[in-house]
Amino acid sequence: MGGNRWRRALPPAAAVAGALLLWQAACAALDVPAWLLPDPWSIALYMAEEAELLFGHLAFTLGLALRGMLLGVAAGVVCAFLFHALPGVRAAFSPLLVASQNIPLIALGPLLMIWFGFGLLPKMILLVLVCFFPVAWSMLAGLGQSEPQLREYLAMIGASRLQTFFRLELPASLPYFFAGLKLTATYSFSTAVVAEWLGSGRGIGYFLVLQSEGYKTKGVFASIFCIVACSLLLYGLAALAEHWGLKRLRMGGSRAKGSGKA
Amino acid sequence: MTEQTAVTERTDGSGNHPWILETVAVSKRYVRDGRPLHVLDRVSLGVREGEFVSVVGPSGSGKSTLFRLIGGVERPDEGSIRIAGRDVTGRRGFISYMPQQPSLFPWLTVRQNIASALVIAGIDRKRAAALAAEWLERIGLGDTAGAYPDELSGGMKQRVSFLRALLMPRDVMCLDEPFAALDALTRTRMQAWLLEQWEAHRRTVLLVTHSIEEAILLSDRIYVLGGSPTTVRRVISVPLPRPRRPDVWNDPAFGRLREEILALLGRSGGRDD
Repeated sequence: MGGNRWRRALPPAAAVAGALLLWQAACAALDVPAWLLPDPWSIALYMAEEAELLFGHLAFTLGLALRGMLLGVAAGVVCAFLFHALPGVRAAFSPLLVASQNIPLIALGPLLMIWFGFGLLPKMILLVLVCFFPVAWSMLAGLGQSEPQLREYLAMIGASRLQTFFRLELPASLPYFFAGLKLTATYSFSTAVVAEWLGSGRGIGYFLVLQSEGYKTKGVFASIFCIVACSLLLYGLAALAEHWGLKRLRMGGSRAKGSGKA
Repeated sequence: MTEQTAVTERTDGSGNHPWILETVAVSKRYVRDGRPLHVLDRVSLGVREGEFVSVVGPSGSGKSTLFRLIGGVERPDEGSIRIAGRDVTGRRGFISYMPQQPSLFPWLTVRQNIASALVIAGIDRKRAAALAAEWLERIGLGDTAGAYPDELSGGMKQRVSFLRALLMPRDVMCLDEPFAALDALTRTRMQAWLLEQWEAHRRTVLLVTHSIEEAILLSDRIYVLGGSPTTVRRVISVPLPRPRRPDVWNDPAFGRLREEILALLGRSGGRDD
């Protein structure tokens, strides 16, 4: 199992390493000026030098992203329950919710700043708005898709609406919840960056703006690497939660894969 | 509602009739593809206390519809359902149920599956867990208490499903073709096992099946359904003595009964298919 995992990780790792090498070689061979495109090695050196500064900004953004995600996921779950329980509410509000996801963040961000100032509140609103939707939408689908046989069984023995919800619909919707959570995790960090970019005195988004306004290309690339790494980290955490949660419920995809191998 | 079922009122004013479960001239029609479909036509049947009654009929004869009406999941267009002397037409929570598919919850262990159903039937959590553990032991499935359904064979799953129905404190157990999805060998074994369990507990049972042998082996009386719309063709008392053994099919009476029911079904089957 362990050996297998490493073997699977090898091709993507090799591809990334290859791309970095190619980049390094191209910079050297074509003599590209550092302000236009710095080579990976000097970016790495820069990141090591400025590690403390970068970590400070990253920690701030990560905190923002995590809080936003937590609130957004909670809002998404509540929204899914509400819509599931009250089809009338669902019919009335689902077009609005879909529409809300189509408002460009760069339009909404400044508006929120105008209304709520430069504090935490507008950033959280922005994050919650982005984070709640994938969870709400996929969980809502999951709540309606439980096994018909089990539904029929519960009906025949006279289970109440609430009992059916807690014993069947909720557990059956968890794979969908985790699918939504993974999506949310992917978006949350970059949304936090956008929120900071629009108005903040701290965070990697703020740092990115400073660097790009000063044409400090090395700093811009360092920020990009940090942002990508943190997004991947959040996604990884969500995937881990999914693996653990579904294994406990004996409905994980990993179990199916495992039995295939055995 | 569940507490009311536990305390059954025998001497209800509406009559001291001996039926535990009764369908009174029940009719059901659907509209399918824009055309009216008359499924059940004034079907009346009854099960007495401690009696094992089967309903046999060709597939598509509305046996499952009948069960949904008894379970209160659907309402009949005419007629009524009575359980323990009370009109329960369109009301749920009065029967225990064993479906064709085991319908065990994959994320619960065997013990939790049983306990969970008992809690729905109004038994408190602790007692439900204790009952489940105790009875799994008693029917020789103690080892599987902590196992998950996907670790069990088809026959074992149905034993668990049966136990779950047996333990629910309801007046009547409804078994809906419980062995139809099993292979022939497992099915024969399960029929013998069910016979043994029933002889030991003598619960009030209504079994729906399309297997004539299964019906004769297990039942005190058999309702033969047929026709379109479905009506009760005949009610047959099974003259085989109790307690019965699985080799009762050697009895000449078994063969005669089988022929009789086959003839009844043959008449209606031709038109249906």
